[in-house]
Amino acid sequence: MTTSLAWQRRRGTVARFWRQYRTHRAGLHGLAGLALIALLALAAPLLVGADVQSVTNAPGRALESPSATFPLGTDQFGRSLLGLLVWGARISLLVGLLAAALSVAIGTLVGIVAGHYGGWFSTVVMRVTDWFLVMPALVLAIVLATVMSRSMWTVILAIGVTSWPTTARLVRAQTIAVESRPYIERATALGGGHGHIMSWHVLPNVMPLVLAQTTLGISTAILTEATLAFLGLGDPTVVSWGGMLQDAREAGAVSSGHWWYLAPPGIAIALVALAFTLCGRAIESVLNPKLGVGR
Amino acid sequence: MVMVTKVPPRPVAPRRLLRLLLAAGVTATTMVAVPQAAQAVPSAEGDAKAGSGTTLTVAVSQSVDSLSPFLAQKLVSTSIHRLAYEYLTNYDAKDAKPIPGLATEWKSSPDKLTWTYTIRTDSKWSDGKQATAEDAAWTFNKMMTDENAATANGSFTSNFKKVTAPDPRTLVIQLKKPQATMTALDVPIVPKHVWEKVGDFSKFNNDKQFPIVGNGPFVITDFKVDQYIKLKPNKNFWRGAPKFDELVFKYYKDGDAAVAALQKGEVSFVPNLTPAQAAALKTAENIKVNDAPGRRFFALATNPGARAKDGKAFGNGHKALLDPAVRKALFLAVDRTTIVDKVFQGHAVEGEGYIPPRFGAYFWKPGAGQKLGYDPVKAEQLLDQAGYRKNGDGKRVGKDGRPLDFRILCHATDPNDKAVGKYLQEWWGKLGIGLKVECLDNVGDPWTKGDYDLAFDGWSVNPDPDYVLSIHTCGTLPATPKDTGATDNFICDRQFDALYARQSVEYDAAKRADLVKQMQSRLYDTGYMNIMAYPNALEAYRTDQIRSITTMPEAAGNLYGQDGYWSWWSAVPAASASDGSDGGSSTGVIVGIGAAVVVVAGLGIFLGMRRRSTADDRE
Amino acid sequence: MTTASTPADVARTAPVRATDGASRTGTTVAYLRYVAGKLGGAAVSLLAVLVTSFFLFRIIPGDPVKAMTHGVPTSAEQLATLRRQFGLDLPMWQQFTDYCGKALSGDLGMSYQFRAPVGELIATKLPATLLLTGVAVLLYSALGLWLGTRSAWNHGGLGDKLNTGVALTLWSVPSFWLGLLLIIVFSVGIGPIPGLFPTGGMESGTGETGFAYVLDVAHHMVLPVLTLVAVGYAQTLLVMRSSLLDEMGGDYLTTARAKGLRDDVVRRRHAVPNALLPTVTMVFINLGHVAAGSILVETVFSWPGLGGLFYQALSVPDLPLVQGLFVVFAGAMILMNLIADLLYPLLDPRVGR
Repeated sequence: MTTSLAWQRRRGTVARFWRQYRTHRAGLHGLAGLALIALLALAAPLLVGADVQSVTNAPGRALESPSATFPLGTDQFGRSLLGLLVWGARISLLVGLLAAALSVAIGTLVGIVAGHYGGWFSTVVMRVTDWFLVMPALVLAIVLATVMSRSMWTVILAIGVTSWPTTARLVRAQTIAVESRPYIERATALGGGHGHIMSWHVLPNVMPLVLAQTTLGISTAILTEATLAFLGLGDPTVVSWGGMLQDAREAGAVSSGHWWYLAPPGIAIALVALAFTLCGRAIESVLNPKLGVGR
Repeated sequence: MVMVTKVPPRPVAPRRLLRLLLAAGVTATTMVAVPQAAQAVPSAEGDAKAGSGTTLTVAVSQSVDSLSPFLAQKLVSTSIHRLAYEYLTNYDAKDAKPIPGLATEWKSSPDKLTWTYTIRTDSKWSDGKQATAEDAAWTFNKMMTDENAATANGSFTSNFKKVTAPDPRTLVIQLKKPQATMTALDVPIVPKHVWEKVGDFSKFNNDKQFPIVGNGPFVITDFKVDQYIKLKPNKNFWRGAPKFDELVFKYYKDGDAAVAALQKGEVSFVPNLTPAQAAALKTAENIKVNDAPGRRFFALATNPGARAKDGKAFGNGHKALLDPAVRKALFLAVDRTTIVDKVFQGHAVEGEGYIPPRFGAYFWKPGAGQKLGYDPVKAEQLLDQAGYRKNGDGKRVGKDGRPLDFRILCHATDPNDKAVGKYLQEWWGKLGIGLKVECLDNVGDPWTKGDYDLAFDGWSVNPDPDYVLSIHTCGTLPATPKDTGATDNFICDRQFDALYARQSVEYDAAKRADLVKQMQSRLYDTGYMNIMAYPNALEAYRTDQIRSITTMPEAAGNLYGQDGYWSWWSAVPAASASDGSDGGSSTGVIVGIGAAVVVVAGLGIFLGMRRRSTADDRE
Repeated sequence: MTTASTPADVARTAPVRATDGASRTGTTVAYLRYVAGKLGGAAVSLLAVLVTSFFLFRIIPGDPVKAMTHGVPTSAEQLATLRRQFGLDLPMWQQFTDYCGKALSGDLGMSYQFRAPVGELIATKLPATLLLTGVAVLLYSALGLWLGTRSAWNHGGLGDKLNTGVALTLWSVPSFWLGLLLIIVFSVGIGPIPGLFPTGGMESGTGETGFAYVLDVAHHMVLPVLTLVAVGYAQTLLVMRSSLLDEMGGDYLTTARAKGLRDDVVRRRHAVPNALLPTVTMVFINLGHVAAGSILVETVFSWPGLGGLFYQALSVPDLPLVQGLFVVFAGAMILMNLIADLLYPLLDPRVGR
């Protein structure tokens, strides 16, 4: 009985959220863009097939300019760049999602625990967080990516481990705010343990914030993935947008004037990052109209 | 934002602070700019003449590690030392055979243990003093007695017993045991009267006092880390002064930026082009692309079971690779033609023996019966016969049940490694063999620990092949598993070692070359190394700045990183070379003014905004 | 800078941090105590950075000696000599105590590959980085402030939407990619566009002096600064815009207007100064990123600064140099955060002094 009530309340919250989100035009555009790109990425096996990655069966000659057969030209192995771009969306989105999820998960855990327990424990945890905050994130990510062997998981880990402190700070502040509400006291009085309070009362209340953080984090993660790939720290055996930019550069596409090799992956990265940012900002302003971002 | 509550403004104090901060910022910026401008003055004095002269600018992508010949190890630094100092001998531009350098002639004693060099009388240091045998003796003795001075080139003197200069024209080197490389001592001879004042050789970089005293075709006159190295011709150089009035090595971190600079005429020469860049430059006006046989080999190395001199085995190389049939099958499934065509876009030569064909005297290729050509069908048969059957998933499994899944070490900074890795994955995948391409910045670590199955390997070969052969002898294995040896790939083969020992004491060129060829044949048959290609040297220069230039080998050779100083010494400026650069810099100044205006305007807007609001306060 | 955090991140965290602890205190004593606390915290952070940088880089795989001699004929004796010269033959704890002792006296050790004191190397490269990123941060802060203010004035209007739209789009662009495109278009030249700007480096090296040299450097700076500004100004714009919007909703503005003050005067005298607070804090945090922030742009434009040096050092790994650079990068952040923390209560009008 109580659970169904809770469910009803949650459903109501979601519906209210969506009604407000709909009023943000930019947010809707972002969402539409995301849906389109996600669809493309999911349908990639049907649209282009895993064979686009094959170098031994490459259909074209090296670095062909755009034509009817290859709308975006070919890379140095003679593979279709359009196919690679579509295929690359899978890795770029996957890395972005997983890295942001990892980062937000760490941040939320640290934030809730620090906010809930308080005292010297919180001080120590927040000191560590501060330490990560003053570390230049990109520098730290570069170091991590250098330390481990080149793989997609390395990149995800490097991004996730270096970008969580902001989330931790925000979640901690929110946790403290939530726990000062009377019903938490009531829950404690009724014998709710630490774990119960954190997972049943605090977590649902910080979830919206976490959602906004994740959405914004994905666009940062996608940009960082491209950056690491550009610096030669990506996984050379998978096709991602950042990796394509790096391939283009290594092939000397910039100075030989093959702009069609360089331009599309960059535009794709920018569009996806923009779409996630727009969504994130819309979510944020729904949750906290005072922020004024969406007005 | 959430926490900033609204309160009535008290704006004055923050304003004042802001202004101060801003002023500090602007000053800081100016202060940064000024000392640099001031720094430029002394170097510019040396260039006073350069404005009207001809400048040859070479784009380099490598940082200079040190200008001290005792420390420098990077190619860019050693190439510059070739220009600034004479070595005892040089290499002929035609065929890389030893020719006179600081020494005019040399001979060995009948017991092969004493070498006597005659030092030329027409070589002067750039400060006017005569270069003598005493300078050479001092240089070698320093390297033999001070381990810090042996940092870079110690391998050349490790077999020296005693070096003396009985008179200014005679240098005598006594050896512990015979050494065939005595006409290939790539050691810059430095002026004793300058260098004997140096205290700690491990800390002296030779980059504080310019010009640097030397006796090569050029004199180093200026150096800024990661920006440029400038050299002036040595007018008294015994072989004749270089024709350009100035030689500048300019640093470009990014290869594309260097090529763009070449297209604009900012630099005269760019090495290490990619195939795409070469293709684009071929059609450009006033630019010549030089596609020359290279001195590198690009190879596959398999872990032969790493071990140390004390006999202990270490590392985690795949056991199946100890089976010659597996290695043979792997090499048979490599299509070298495709690698040359697709990865190098035709700018490479198919690999055969260990030493590239450029060094004709030592070049060897496998005979018809010996050669492992591209034959995937035969590779399948070999694996089947050797008992590596395909399982249900199409994967080959050994008798021990372990699947043939290999790792290959790849240099993350080398695009060719990554590209060939893709092809190998697919070719070997068809055989049922898995391959994981492990790209690292530093492959050295797993490599020296023996933690690899296969690796991309490559060496730049010198005219004297002794070193690249020595790294496959048992003597270079690490003493214990904890040590590091000079060994390349842990190969230790008695037959190869015996041949190596014979060639290293063989003073007869033809006989030695024959031994070297036998060594390559043996190396090929052991099947631990397989040469896939010899990449070409792809480089380009501006014909409106350089009229002619000598390649090495002269017939069809490269320009950058030659064994001698032929390219830059021989380069003749084109008629239009001197005015071209002047025009560039004057438009540069105009655009520069525009740029400065933009920067100042930006700051102005900011200041203006602040000013306006302060004015409002006063109303 | 571009990858560190989203504009929204900075916008939200900066004030939170800055007001921690001191916002409600009103006396000089309290402020001094606050200062002492912040100074202590910064000192602890710096110490932590010093210690961690030693161990952080020891876990990088790769034998520096082997990497440096890669492809160079080297005998086992030479390898041993190099190891001895670098102190790599000593046990780890001894290397660590040596490092700590030296670091505390300001000596960051000798670079392996350049054979020069790390401090000296950093000092020669620092001006170039400070110049490039310093100018860029000042410019994009100014641009962001200006556009952010304008956006907030007529928020909801077409100008505002265009403004934020363009800023967000540029922010989403990878900075290195933008830099490469700028090189193609404005350095190499496409079609009718001539190659106006140099492709890289900081100076032509043709011996300009005095004013001509300053111009030459400015000429080389245009494209990298443009890249950094384009990618960076969105942050300032968004923070300025939203905090100004916050201010404009305030009751006191209504009061001021009711007193008969002109609209633009109200805004300029009352709203902007208050809204500047979080923005200024952010400018300082951005300045903290200055040292590390331009790794990408420095790579693309061959700018002879710290970013390139770091990348070079890391690939060896040239341990003393990476350690030193890391300390400098993190030190700059700590310093600028400290300045922002110390200034905030001073700038904050709520603190009566």
